[in-house]
Amino acid sequence: MVVASTRFGTLNIPAESLLTFPSGLLGFPEWTRYVILDHDTDAPFKWLHCVEEASLAFVVIDPALFNEQYQVTVSPEARGEVEGSETDELGLAVILTIPSDDPSAVTANLRGPLLMNHRTRLCKQLVLSEDYPTRYPVFSAPRRAAHTLILPLAEAIPA
Amino acid sequence: MLVLTRKRGEGVAIGPDIRVVVLGIKNGQVRLGVEAPRTIEVHRDEVCVRIQEENQLAARTPVVPLDVFQRLLRRKTA
Repeated sequence: MVVASTRFGTLNIPAESLLTFPSGLLGFPEWTRYVILDHDTDAPFKWLHCVEEASLAFVVIDPALFNEQYQVTVSPEARGEVEGSETDELGLAVILTIPSDDPSAVTANLRGPLLMNHRTRLCKQLVLSEDYPTRYPVFSAPRRAAHTLILPLAEAIPA
Repeated sequence: MLVLTRKRGEGVAIGPDIRVVVLGIKNGQVRLGVEAPRTIEVHRDEVCVRIQEENQLAARTPVVPLDVFQRLLRRKTA
């Protein structure tokens, strides 16, 4: 499918790469269909781009890249919304806020991470009850080894 | 906005299956109990508002300055 983007021009997106957020993202409930745009560069972040609104896009990243201790509890309701079964591989990503006047002050929203079910391609922005900040400084964080972009749930959530 | 006056132990019913009860009032703070089906998400509203505002800010990112992420890239290879 052809997707218009105010940032990247016209994109050709395979339909199978569509992601659906049945509840939308907080503040954007009317937009439910997104794709993740990969870059040619080895940059650690990706764009979560809305396919219904050309100007709506978020920069997302694997939280394990800068905070190994980050763990979230996925409620049964949230798991239900992404139709996660016991064996489903659920992934986590967090949204970055990059101030235009000081890009190095980039922060990650650890309080409202994105839960993704790779099988159903259903996603949900969680509202955590854990006391994580919405503005976690990415670059003052301690050095961490890199993993894949989307953290497997088994690593993210201890039994 | 509907405004109701309730005493301790009294509640309000919202629809067929949601009930909010005043459990206690102390030092200007009200303790509420919420009974709702598990499919209904209940959060302190300031948390939702903060995430919503952060989303709106994050959505304004025009482009990502790649050089900023070089530090994270170096970490990857370190």
